[in-house]
Amino acid sequence: MILAKLAFKSLLNRRASVCLTLLTIAISVMLLLSIERIRLDAKSSFSNTISGTDLIVGARTGDIQLLLSSVFRIGHANNGISWESYNYIKNQRGVKWTIPISLGDSHKGNAVLGTSPDYFTYYRYAKKQNLRFVAGQAFKHINDVVLGNEVATKLGYKLGDSIVISHGMGNTSFHHHKDNPFTVVGILAPTGTPVDKTLHIPLGAIDLIHASHSRHASSAHDEHDEHDEHDEHDEHDEHDEHDEHDEHDEHDEHDEHDEQNNALIGQPKQITAFLMGFNSPLYTLQMRRNINQYKPEALLAIMPAVTLKELWEMLTIVEKVLLLFSAVVVLISLLGMLTTLLANLNQRRRELAILRSVGAKPWHIFTLMSIESLFITLLGCIVGCIWFYVLMLTSATYLQTHAGISINITSLSYYELTLIAIIMGSGFIIGLIPATRAYFYSLTDGMSIKV
Amino acid sequence: MITLSNISFKWHKKALSNTLNIPYLSINKGEHVFLHGPSGCGKSTLLSLLAGINSPTSGELTILGKSLQMLTKAKRDAFRADNIGYIFQNFNLLPYLTPIENVVLGCQFSTSRKRNALKHASSLEQQAAHLLNALGLDTNLHYSNAADLSIGQQQRVAAARAFIGSPAIIIADEPTSALDTDNRQHFINLLFEQAKNSNSTLVFVSHDNSLQPLFNRSINLVTLQDKL
Ligand SMILES: Nc1ncnc2c1ncn2[C@@H]1O[C@H](COP(=O)(O)OP(=O)(O)OP(=O)(O)O)[C@@H](O)[C@H]1O
Ligand SMILES: [Mg+2]
Repeated sequence: MILAKLAFKSLLNRRASVCLTLLTIAISVMLLLSIERIRLDAKSSFSNTISGTDLIVGARTGDIQLLLSSVFRIGHANNGISWESYNYIKNQRGVKWTIPISLGDSHKGNAVLGTSPDYFTYYRYAKKQNLRFVAGQAFKHINDVVLGNEVATKLGYKLGDSIVISHGMGNTSFHHHKDNPFTVVGILAPTGTPVDKTLHIPLGAIDLIHASHSRHASSAHDEHDEHDEHDEHDEHDEHDEHDEHDEHDEHDEHDEHDEQNNALIGQPKQITAFLMGFNSPLYTLQMRRNINQYKPEALLAIMPAVTLKELWEMLTIVEKVLLLFSAVVVLISLLGMLTTLLANLNQRRRELAILRSVGAKPWHIFTLMSIESLFITLLGCIVGCIWFYVLMLTSATYLQTHAGISINITSLSYYELTLIAIIMGSGFIIGLIPATRAYFYSLTDGMSIKV
Repeated sequence: MITLSNISFKWHKKALSNTLNIPYLSINKGEHVFLHGPSGCGKSTLLSLLAGINSPTSGELTILGKSLQMLTKAKRDAFRADNIGYIFQNFNLLPYLTPIENVVLGCQFSTSRKRNALKHASSLEQQAAHLLNALGLDTNLHYSNAADLSIGQQQRVAAARAFIGSPAIIIADEPTSALDTDNRQHFINLLFEQAKNSNSTLVFVSHDNSLQPLFNRSINLVTLQDKL
C-alpha cells in the first residue's frame, strides 16, 4: 500500500517525462486497436458483400476473377453466358431464383448493372439483408434506373432526374449520347457494399445502350443517316410493347407482371453472369458440378462465401504486415518507457538509499519500480482505449463513405482485451528490467549515497 | 546496548587489508557518542554495520541483545526499520513527499514504530507534526514541497523522521556539515532534546571537532583501531 502510494507520488513528481512515456504508449495502443478493429471490420464488411446467394455462374475464368467482376465490379469479364444457357440452367430442378446481371457500362465512374427486377427481391448482403429503398421503388420501365445510395448522394441525383448512361467503362466516355436518358425511380439504402456505387437498369436496357453505341460507331464510319431511322424504329417498338401491356392489363394481372418483366429483361444475346439461389442448399454442390461440366458452353459456378474466403486469404499478407507494424509500434513505445525509467533510475539512487535507511528491503525497491512501470502501462492502455473510441467515433462515417467499411462501435472484444493484456504483460516484463537494476543498486549501494 | 568485539570488515573479499578493525567498542543506552576521524577512515562504513546494511567480515556485533551477523538480510532490514533512525549528511528527503509524509515514512516499514508513534498521538501525521514543531519547523511548512525547504529545514525534517516511533538508536552521519555554525549548535541541541525525550542512543559522526564538547562521549575511530 505504502509502496503504491510512493510509486504514484514519485510518478506525479516526474509527470513531464512520465506523461511523454504514457503518451507514446497510449498512441501505440490506440493505433494497434484501431488497426485491428478496422482490419476485422474490413474483413466482415468484405464477407458481408454478398450473402444468401448459393452460386454465381459466369463464363469460365478463375473463381476469384468471377467473384471480383460479378460482385465487386473489379476487372472485366470478357466472355459472357449465352441467353440460352442461362435459360436452360434457370429451369433446372431446385432453382428458386436467378438474377441475371450484365456489367461493362459505367456512369461517371460508377458501374452500371443490367438486371431483372428479381434483383431487388432476392439480392442479399451482410446477414441475409434485403436491399431497401430510401426513396422510390424498383424499375418498372425500360428507361428507369435505380441508384445505389452513394451514387445518389455523391452525384446529387433525386427521384425523377434524367441520367445519360454511356457504353463502356471509365470516367470519360467518348460516346456521350443523349439518346438514352434514364429516369431515376428508386434510390437504395446504404449497404456498405459495391451496390452503393452501382446504377441498376433493366437488363433489356443494356442492349439499348449498346445498340445506340453501335449505331453511333457505324455512323462515325458511315455518312448515312441510318440511325435516325433506327431510332424511330426503336421508339416505335417500345410503344408497341407498351401498347401490348395495356391490352393485357385487362386480362390477367399475373400475365401482365410476367409480360412486364419480360419486357424489362428483353432478349439479350448474352449476360455477364447470374446469381442463383436454391430451394435447399443441398442442391448447391450437385448443381455446381453440373454447371462446371455443362457441355454446350464453358461455364464456371462458384460459391460466393467460399471464394470470398479464398480472396480474403490472399490478402492475409497485408493483414499480417499491418499487425506486425502496430506490434512494432507498441514495442517501441514500451522500449521508450524502459529508456526513461532507466535514465531516471540513476538520478533516483539517492531516493533508494533513503528508502533503505527507513527499513525498506531490496524487494520493496523492486516492487516499487515494478508498480511504476505497471502503472504507466495501465494508464497508457486506458488512455489509448479512450482515444481509440474517440478516433472510431470521429472516423466511422468517413470509413463508411470512403472505404465502405462499416465500423461497429462496440465494447472491447475478447480479442482486443487479449491484445491489451499482452501489452500490459509486456509492459510489466519490460518494467522488470529497471526494477531488477534498482534492486541491485539498493543491494550494492546500501545506504551510501552515490550521486 | 551496542557491543562490537573483534570486528573486522572489508568491502571486497579479495581486498588486502580490512577497512575496519575494531577490537572492542561498547556504547551504552542513552549515550550521545561523537564519532570522529579523518576522511576515509571508515566512519560511514562502521555506521553501515550498525544499521545492518552490511555485515562484519568477522567478529561479533550485538545490538540490543541481538547478534546482527546471525540475522538474515531481510531480518536486518526489519531490525533497522524497528530500531534505527538514520540521518544523512544532506538530501535526506524524498522530493515528492511533503515534510509530514517524509516524517511518517520513518515508521512505514515497522509496525512497532508505528505503534510507538501512536502512543503519543492519534495519527501518524499528528505525531509527525508534533515532532516537526518540536524540531522548530513552522506549521505552515509541514505540507509544503520538501524540495523547497532550506537545507537546515530539511535536516530538521530528517531528524523528525529518525525520531518518529522512538527507535532505540539514532545514527547521524555528518548531519550538520551543510549547516552554518549557529544552525549547527541549534540543530544538535534539538537532537539531544529529542534523544532525551525518547531515551534514544545517539551515534553522531562529524569531522567538526568543535562539536565534540557537546557530547558526553567521544570516539576517535583511528585511535580505536590503533589499539589493535
Ligand atoms: N560501497 C563501497 N564499496 C567499496 N568500498 C567502499 C565503499 N564505501 C566506502 N568504501 C571504502 O571504505 C573506506 C572508508 O570509507 P568511509 O565512507 O567509511 O569513510 P568515512 O570515514 O565515512 O569518510 P568521510 O569522512 O569522507 O565520509 C574508503 O577507503 C572507501 O573507499
Ligand atoms: Mg562518511
